[in-house]
Amino acid sequence: MPRASKRKADAVKSSHAETAPKKPTKEVERIDNLFASYANTSISMIDPEGVEKLCSDLSVEHTDVRILMLAWKMNAKKQGYFTQEEWRTGLKSLRADTLKKLKKELTELEKEVANPNNFEDFYCYSFRYCLTEDKQKSLDIESVCVLLDLVLGPKFRLQVDSFCDFLKIQKEYKVVNMDQWTNFFRFCQEIEFRELKNYDACQAWPLILDNFVDWLREKSKSA
Amino acid sequence: MNSNHKKRNFQIEAFKHKVVVDPKYADKTWRLLEHAINEIYNHNASGLSFEELYRNAYNMVLHKFGEKLYTGLVSTMTRHLTSMSKSIEDTHGEMFLEELNNKWTDHNKALQMIRDILMYMDRTYVPSSHKTPVHELGLNLWRDNVIHLTGIQTRLQNTLLQLIHSERTGQIINRGLMRNIVKMLTDLGPSVYQSDLETPFLEVSAGFYRVESQDFIECCECGDYLQKAERRLNEEIDRVSHYLDSRTKIKITNVVEKEMIANHMTRLVHMENSGLVNMLVNDKYDDLKRIYNLFHRVPHGLDTIREVMTSYLRDTGKNLVTDPEKLKDPVEFVQSLLNEKDKFDKIIGFSFNNDKSFQNSLNSSFEFFINLNPRSPEFISLFVDDKLKKGLKGVSEEDVEIILDKVMMLFRYLQEKDLFEKYYKQHLAKRLLSGKDSSDDAEKSLVLKLKTECGYQFTSKLEGMFTDIKTSQDTVHGFYSTHGSELVTGPILTVQVLTTGSWPSQPGATCNLPTELTSICEKFKSYYLGTHTGRRLTWQTNMGTAEIKATFGKSQKHELTVSTYQMCVLMLFNKSDRLTYKDIEQTTEIPSVDLKRCLQSMACVKGKNVIRKEPMSKEIMESDVFFVNEKFVGKFYKVKIGTVVAAAVKEEPEKMETRQRVEEDRKPQIEAAVVRIMKARRVLDHNNVIAEVIQQLQSRFLANPGEIKKRIESLIERDFLERDGSDRKLYRYLA
Repeated sequence: MPRASKRKADAVKSSHAETAPKKPTKEVERIDNLFASYANTSISMIDPEGVEKLCSDLSVEHTDVRILMLAWKMNAKKQGYFTQEEWRTGLKSLRADTLKKLKKELTELEKEVANPNNFEDFYCYSFRYCLTEDKQKSLDIESVCVLLDLVLGPKFRLQVDSFCDFLKIQKEYKVVNMDQWTNFFRFCQEIEFRELKNYDACQAWPLILDNFVDWLREKSKSA
Repeated sequence: MNSNHKKRNFQIEAFKHKVVVDPKYADKTWRLLEHAINEIYNHNASGLSFEELYRNAYNMVLHKFGEKLYTGLVSTMTRHLTSMSKSIEDTHGEMFLEELNNKWTDHNKALQMIRDILMYMDRTYVPSSHKTPVHELGLNLWRDNVIHLTGIQTRLQNTLLQLIHSERTGQIINRGLMRNIVKMLTDLGPSVYQSDLETPFLEVSAGFYRVESQDFIECCECGDYLQKAERRLNEEIDRVSHYLDSRTKIKITNVVEKEMIANHMTRLVHMENSGLVNMLVNDKYDDLKRIYNLFHRVPHGLDTIREVMTSYLRDTGKNLVTDPEKLKDPVEFVQSLLNEKDKFDKIIGFSFNNDKSFQNSLNSSFEFFINLNPRSPEFISLFVDDKLKKGLKGVSEEDVEIILDKVMMLFRYLQEKDLFEKYYKQHLAKRLLSGKDSSDDAEKSLVLKLKTECGYQFTSKLEGMFTDIKTSQDTVHGFYSTHGSELVTGPILTVQVLTTGSWPSQPGATCNLPTELTSICEKFKSYYLGTHTGRRLTWQTNMGTAEIKATFGKSQKHELTVSTYQMCVLMLFNKSDRLTYKDIEQTTEIPSVDLKRCLQSMACVKGKNVIRKEPMSKEIMESDVFFVNEKFVGKFYKVKIGTVVAAAVKEEPEKMETRQRVEEDRKPQIEAAVVRIMKARRVLDHNNVIAEVIQQLQSRFLANPGEIKKRIESLIERDFLERDGSDRKLYRYLA
């Protein structure tokens, strides 16, 4: 029967939507429409204004860490902007083609990020995401503290607060680079906090962490 | 009579078949031999026929009576020995040993004769029946029946030990007799010698020396004690060579070493007022040699000496480098270091046999304390500067080499060699530019030594400096020969052209040269640039000197030697008598700090006040007015006007600057080393990188691990390296 066969053909095409871009499926269409509703047509990207609108529609603060997670899922390159490709990638993998679904998926996304296999990747991504300039390699202390608080705070509250205090007091470093950023995470995982017994300054820890540990030890002595 | 029968009985048959000999024959023969043995022991051997006895013994053995012969020998000999021992036992007092010795000699003589007679038995019956050969048998019988007789054994041991003790306490004994008795014991076998004499000897000796050493150490000083110990040691060695077995030598010396030296080692070394430190301080070479030789013999003896020497050295050295008096005078500082090194070199040479381990301790101690003072590199450079400035005339070439070699030796101890290089360069520049030609050979010699020690890179710039001076001379010469005729009437100019990279960098400063000089200066500049296109010349007005002829008042003539700045100021007075500070500043454009110093040197220094200022205050104010001091009278025709050195405060920042520059220079060197290492290894862990970098840079300075870490991080940031994905201790080279 011609109708039946046509339906089958449709079904086949929708499951291989990526390999046959000529005929977008309903899902993709809805995703694209959603994109269009926030995008700035002159640059064909969602700009910060659009992001803000998206956030209010999702009832999250635009400084909420879930937006950052969303960016991660999309593998967004530029902070505050989403391209159509990125939008598609993200929403497709979330299986969210409506605002309602997207909102629901955000909670799932949180769990996904918390998974140890993904967290480190997310953590590193968040730093890169904040490097807004073209050849920028490091982030100023102020921004680092905010980012740390956002990303790592929930997991390692004590370490993050302590480290941010230190960063603001010390004078040697004005910025933090990727290497130092990644190593801080490793520090939180491996070193027992407060006691710091298993920290060995002769190992390959970045100097900024050596200084941090010295500062902590000095403080506990005078305390 | 049955003589015929008998004759028939004694017919000798051919040896083809066994002959059963009459057993009575055996008895008879034996009795003959027994008699002979007795005679031998009774010193009556002369009447015996060797040939007959030998034949009889031979026959006995041949006819299967070897056993009888052997047992007979044993019992006869035993009998004789028993009676000998009785006679020995009965001897009283001093004759005991002598009697023993005599009897032993007798027995040996007898034994020899007996063995000769019984030689056939010794060669045939004895081996086949596994019996002890005659000679050995004789010794064993002697041992069992004489020496080990209860009465004799203990008495013998006691007598011998008593004699040795007497000898030790100063009495003379019969060494020949001793030697014979000891030889007897050794002949009886090493176990006899050891158990009967050697072991008790060693025990008694240990006890003796234990007591003696305790007595000595209570009342003797270290040096005396050691002399006594050495004497005793030599005595024992002498004793062994005269009458003991040579294998006892090492054993008895060990005993003496242990009791007299090892047991009291620490106490001796640390003895107040006479111990090792006292010996070192007072250069007591003989005592030191003795203590070295004696302690060499005991385990950890040399270690003990070396430890004490090292800690003394480090303490003394530390005091030396932190002594505030010495720190005021760098030349004195370095000279003290050299003196200390000389002292210990001599000690190690004369007394410690040039022992390598002591030399190493000396070197490591020096390295330790020289680097305790961060100014050591500067001071060593100043020392060299002093020696080379004053000129080494009157000092022979060899002596110059010796001094320079000593300086190099100190240089090797420095960890911050790059700091030395900076100071040395500054001082060398001053020396070269001061115009004095002295010690040129010595300068070159030192540069050569530095080159050998540190490589070409270290000295390439220094050599550039020398070249510049030489080239400048040639240039000036060429200038004058080309333009000579025009310049006869004008001022005489001597120029040194310095290549910017080779000389310590000087901050540029403004200064307008006097009009009287502009012509010749321009001429020189164009001459030079004519022959060297593409170069730029800048007059370094903060350096240089001038000689000016001046007339004060009506007729007071002087020749003034002044700095360039001073010259610029003075020349202005040719045109006006009165100049304000502002006038001078505007015309010369000399920076105010330098200008003030320059004016101060000429107006406020007694004996050099060629200028008068109003008001007559000590400080130069911007409101001051200056005149020529018409009343100036100098002691001599030639007057040298120096420049006031600003308060010591100015020196400090300069030193800080030098050190900072050196620290800055180190950063790229560290990075270069890291990159070199990583390029070769591709992947390497943190600790090994640190270790290799330190090693590579060792010849210039001691790299700080923290600083190295910083540089590594910087390299990671710039994508020269990365951390390994799985093992964060590893670094990877990024091509």
